[in-house]
Amino acid sequence: MTDAVTNVVDISASPIISAQGIEKWYGTFQVLKGVDLEVYPQEVVVLMGPSGSGKSTLIRTLNGLESHEKGSIIIDGVALTQNPRHLEAIRREVGMVFQQFNLFPHLTVLQNITLSPIWVRRLFKPQAEEIAMQLLERVGILEQAHKYPGQLSGGQQQRVAIARALAMQPKIMLFDEPTSALDPEMVREVLDVMRSLAEGGMTMVIVTHEVGFAREVADHVLLMDQGQVVERATPAEFFLNPKEERSRQFLAQILA
Amino acid sequence: MESWQTRFKTAFSPSSRQKYWIWARQNLLSTWSNVLLTLVSLGIIATTLTALGTWIFTQAQWEVVTVNLRLIFVGRYPVEQIWRLWLVLMLLVTVPALSWGVMQGWGRRESAWGIGGGAGLVGAITLSNQGLEPTAWLCCITGIALGSGYLGAWSQQQPWGKPLKTWLPLLWFLTFFVMLWLISGGLGLTTVSTTFWNGLLLTLLVAVVSIVLSFPLGVFLALGRQSQLPVIRVVSTGYIELIRGLPLIGILFMAQVMLPLLLPPQITVDQLVRAIAGLSLFSAAYLAETVRGGLQSIPNGQWEASRALGLSTPLTLSLIVLPQALRTVVPAIVGQFISLFKDTALLSIVGLVELTGIARSITSQAEYLGRYAEVYLVLGLIYWLFCYGMSVASRRLELPSGS
Repeated sequence: MTDAVTNVVDISASPIISAQGIEKWYGTFQVLKGVDLEVYPQEVVVLMGPSGSGKSTLIRTLNGLESHEKGSIIIDGVALTQNPRHLEAIRREVGMVFQQFNLFPHLTVLQNITLSPIWVRRLFKPQAEEIAMQLLERVGILEQAHKYPGQLSGGQQQRVAIARALAMQPKIMLFDEPTSALDPEMVREVLDVMRSLAEGGMTMVIVTHEVGFAREVADHVLLMDQGQVVERATPAEFFLNPKEERSRQFLAQILA
Repeated sequence: MESWQTRFKTAFSPSSRQKYWIWARQNLLSTWSNVLLTLVSLGIIATTLTALGTWIFTQAQWEVVTVNLRLIFVGRYPVEQIWRLWLVLMLLVTVPALSWGVMQGWGRRESAWGIGGGAGLVGAITLSNQGLEPTAWLCCITGIALGSGYLGAWSQQQPWGKPLKTWLPLLWFLTFFVMLWLISGGLGLTTVSTTFWNGLLLTLLVAVVSIVLSFPLGVFLALGRQSQLPVIRVVSTGYIELIRGLPLIGILFMAQVMLPLLLPPQITVDQLVRAIAGLSLFSAAYLAETVRGGLQSIPNGQWEASRALGLSTPLTLSLIVLPQALRTVVPAIVGQFISLFKDTALLSIVGLVELTGIARSITSQAEYLGRYAEVYLVLGLIYWLFCYGMSVASRRLELPSGS
């Protein structure tokens, strides 16, 4: 698996995510200090950085799970405000996968996946279930469809969570440390699914510590520190020849 | 699960008799002081039980109960209309039996329970000399209930049986109104005024309606207390704290005595409606606090995942949060319902002749003056039977928890 994924990033198109000067406070503590982020259709952007650098907060502002106090976010032409109608419109187009999976424990795998297509996209149940079964096959756990999340391993749960987000047929997928809560032997099955998603041309923003994955799949890597973007570069440049001193420090720590 | 036969056999096999002896020697007879304590306790238990047994079988005069059995169950409901209440009882047994058959299947255990319950009631009725008619009704009702249980189970093997499962709530809903119609009359039946609905009939009616009304109200209050909107939050919190600071008897008096004073004289609200309103409003405040505990036990991640999927707040609540929150507090909610059931006894103080009220009027009949013990013992037994039934039912509700 050494050959790089060649994504066709259409630079001539306008960015599908455009965030300008995002600032956010928790009380008096400023988590984000004027972050700019542009993501183009079919681009894969990996956010890295030490814990507390604001990368998780940033990704959660992109679908309005966290509000921001300053700056503007435009997702696929829709300005993200706290207006519930705008928020729901944006969330229909943006899928999210969480560190803790956050599956609904009282519903079966199939019900987890079809819930939102049925209630939000207003699909009929058979149609939604057909899509769900295709997705389960794609993430390789078709046989678990009628089990409850509690009966699955962590890796399987996370793959269900990915299928659940994909069932809304989103234009963008956000991954917030999708492998951090997994046992080491299960990390790979989740990364494989994400890799094939990227190959299929999905626009993705990923917070992760998986260097190998970032190198192979990302179009751009962003290093964040103390609420600011320190460096934005292609993986080749970032990992082999980082421009910033802070980047070199960070890489020295995680590659040690 | 081992059957009761095997449990019985193991409990009385020679080896386990030995085990019990060893257990008793270790726990009851280990030291001299323990031996003494065991003997004293045994003595106390034996005296109490013999005294109680002697009283029940030799001294007590059960005539006060057997003569007044109809009063205890249905009060002053017109005798020539009582067939309507037998039909209500039939519905009350048949619909749950049918639902049980549909949801859980119907096997030998269910039949045993049904036949046992029916036979027990028939035995009690026959012993108390009520004539042939109640016996005939009870046999008939038991038979129909068993039949509907089997029908429910059988329907699930038929292609047309699946929709029945989804329509069951509607069936219950309709059954309730049919029962209400049978009790109150109208539409071709003789009207029976609510003042003639007494005894166990009134207790059950008030309890069921209050439970059904207070549950949604309690859930809404709990949600209101968590609301982002300050007005709703303050009103809900204020209501909950106000009601929880008042005694139920005060609320009932207010509903019965003060409400007519406050309302214009043209508007009269039925005494029964006022009682049900008082009980429901009271119980809802306590339920709200229970449900709030359940809501707070749902991790924030569930909200986030649901929002990230584009579900609105009402959908998140009804599909994700409430189903999980309510499941965790089922035991507490049933406890609330049990105490609501017992609280209906207070209605006797504000002039409704429910189970406790009818007991009070029976004990003041001239020929049975002073026969409190017999009447109140039966009264306690009736309350206990229903409360224990609810408790058992709740344990069954907790079992299928989707793991």
